[in-house]
Amino acid sequence: MAVRPALKAALATLMMVIGTGATLAYFEESLPSSMNPLFARSMVDRRSQELVFDRLWFHDAVTNELKSRVVERWELADGGKALKITLKQGLKWHNGKNLTSKDVCFTVKAMLDRNTPSQIATEYREVLAGCSTEGNQVAVVQFKRVYHNPRERLGFAVLPESAFSSTAISPDLDFSARPTGTGPFKGSRGRRGVVFDAFANGHHSPNVAQLQLQEGGDPLVQVKTIINNGVQGIVAVPPPLRPDLSASDEVTLKGYDLRSWWYVAVNTSKGALSDVKVRQALNVALDRTELRQFSIGVKPGEENSPCEFISGPFVQSSPYYNRSVRVIERSDKARVQKLLTDAGLTQVGGRWHHKGQPISLRIGMKAPLDNEAPDLMSQIGNQLGALGFDRQEFKISVDEWNRKILTGQGSEYDLIIGKWSFGLVEEVNDLFHSRKGTEGKLNIFNYSDGEVDTILGQYDASRTDTAARDAYHELHQKLSLKLPYLFLWKLDTKSAWRTEVRGNIIAPYFYFTEIDSWKYAK
Amino acid sequence: MKQWWLRPGVRVVAALLLPFAVPAIITALIWALPGDPASIICPPENCGGTEILAKRWGLDQGPVAFFMGWVQDALHGDFRNSWRLQMGVPVAELLWEAVPKTIMLLAVALVPVGIGAVSGSTGVLPRVLDPVLYVVGLVPAVVLGLIAAAMVELSYGVASFEAEGELARLLAGAAVLGLADGAFSGAVTGTRGLVRAEATQRYVGVAVLRGEATLTNMLPNVALALAGQLRARAIHLLSGAVVVEVILRINGLGDLLWGGTLLQDFGVVLAAATGFAVLSAALLLAQAMVEVMVALHVRRSPSLGGAA
Repeated sequence: MAVRPALKAALATLMMVIGTGATLAYFEESLPSSMNPLFARSMVDRRSQELVFDRLWFHDAVTNELKSRVVERWELADGGKALKITLKQGLKWHNGKNLTSKDVCFTVKAMLDRNTPSQIATEYREVLAGCSTEGNQVAVVQFKRVYHNPRERLGFAVLPESAFSSTAISPDLDFSARPTGTGPFKGSRGRRGVVFDAFANGHHSPNVAQLQLQEGGDPLVQVKTIINNGVQGIVAVPPPLRPDLSASDEVTLKGYDLRSWWYVAVNTSKGALSDVKVRQALNVALDRTELRQFSIGVKPGEENSPCEFISGPFVQSSPYYNRSVRVIERSDKARVQKLLTDAGLTQVGGRWHHKGQPISLRIGMKAPLDNEAPDLMSQIGNQLGALGFDRQEFKISVDEWNRKILTGQGSEYDLIIGKWSFGLVEEVNDLFHSRKGTEGKLNIFNYSDGEVDTILGQYDASRTDTAARDAYHELHQKLSLKLPYLFLWKLDTKSAWRTEVRGNIIAPYFYFTEIDSWKYAK
Repeated sequence: MKQWWLRPGVRVVAALLLPFAVPAIITALIWALPGDPASIICPPENCGGTEILAKRWGLDQGPVAFFMGWVQDALHGDFRNSWRLQMGVPVAELLWEAVPKTIMLLAVALVPVGIGAVSGSTGVLPRVLDPVLYVVGLVPAVVLGLIAAAMVELSYGVASFEAEGELARLLAGAAVLGLADGAFSGAVTGTRGLVRAEATQRYVGVAVLRGEATLTNMLPNVALALAGQLRARAIHLLSGAVVVEVILRINGLGDLLWGGTLLQDFGVVLAAATGFAVLSAALLLAQAMVEVMVALHVRRSPSLGGAA
């Protein structure tokens, strides 16, 4: 039974030795903040961790089928409230130890341990109840209730029990920089980059000997570097620079399905913005076609645009997108005037006043987004300025974004420009639910609306795909009226890889799920 | 004269206190910031319960207990782990990587400064070149650093963090430090001014008439001032090193301090700032040692004075 994985591992090692010994270097948006999957915050973290760890279950990048590389077979137990998992034999951790059911249960227990200060663990605590082992290969994972899709709930990365002294896992352990996984690569983070060394295993046979992650820096320099073969890949290429790469025979642009959409979050508890009519006025004040043209470079009427307008919190291809809500492409100045006047605002000397004071909007934008959509904040500011609003613009660092904006402490801003990225599960409850307990964790301006909360509750309680879809369609409709966000567009994410890199299937969201098929020879 | 030991003594005491005073001030600043320190490092919304982290990082007992605990660990070589800059990596490891690089950077940067000092004191460089030196010295380290960084990046590309690229960064950084912000021109004109002023002293003229060498006569008198100048220049280079390391992305102490501060990784900031304090203390000790040696030399010299 264990002979086949061993043979595969030996073959993979041989291939690495005689095959492609080259290092594949690529530019990321930043360095990962942590390599420990329990403390992943950004997409960079998730992509990097995908190289090092195996998630218990994952979606196939091509067929979308739910798969596992570590589970041999599974069955429901305890009337559907538990899942009995039998692990494959002969799988090794990067430290040479065997992957056993104890590791699966350790991971579950670590997440259930309240002394593990992880937001991701907190989410799993709502779903998981415990775990027990039956020998070395069988783990029984208990849920808090019966789920119609229990395996979908087990998408966590398995952690090695041998690497920790207790189930209370802290973010500042050495593991966060030099993790031990069962994934195709063994990672080690340094000051200027991360090195991933191939690790042949029973279930992984990477063809690339080493991957090197470096922080990208200036997008133009990144593009010049890949053209000159100084680096082999760029994870995200800004739209304005894509034509340069398309023109090159040596570089291929590849789609990366991130399901990202852009928005302007509105501080609904501040001054005039608390009036829905003012928010509606801002919504029709934005000329999205112009914004898209001047920021991303999409000309009006251009076909195959990388940028598709949206009217709600989903990309148009999502089953949750409500097509009955129309997108707003152009500004409507007459309507702006009417809505603001109806809201009791007055215009003095061309500037809008609320309760006798001129309206001055503090607009913030997550700084790295300026690479993808250059000058978007200035363009939005200019459009609002032309309509009679004073404004101040601020770029928000990634650190401030994580610490302040995402935690609902950015109340000094009136408008915040941002982007959300989703995987296959486009759950937006955390963005719009009132902040209480574990709800509304990503509610930027602590927006609170009873009707919206009720709809989000309906989504949560849904037991069928249809019920979930209906709830989110209604949410889409409701948000387009209440406007805690002004929805902008979905922007395609494109990666660039040199043509010497072959077989490089890019998985949605996690990117490197199919890294085993990648090949690179200088 | 009888209290010749006072000045070096003060320097020694200052050198001994400095590595403790700096982290103490930083600790006070951490607590002075609004919000509790653990929440600053990792907000509860991101990390779940910060009280667990506060306990783990020793932040739950107040600044004094934190400082004492930190010093105790630091004296055993344990600077704890990085909280954010390189999450999970022992700070001692980061220091071990950074300190030699900063020392090397300073040592190489001292070469042009040393050449400037020697050429200034010996008069090798004519005064007519002074305007040129001043103009070069006017260029800030930031500007020269950016030019040097662009040159290294363009020459080495992604390989600029490999051994050869790292060496290029270090040499370019040292050249920037040694030339920018008046480092070289200051060394030339500073030592020249000092030596020329001393050379006009009556005792030097008498010594020359007696057939003695000028330098050996002047040295005990100018040694203290020269040591002071050298320390001031070294401190100047040390502060410049922060800018140069950040711009040229040299993994030194300055870059560590900058990165830690930006990310509010207080563990790294404390250690890196203490590293700078230790280097500064070492310079103070060196100056004190020169002062002691000069004093001993002078006291050992035969007395010239007869009874009046």
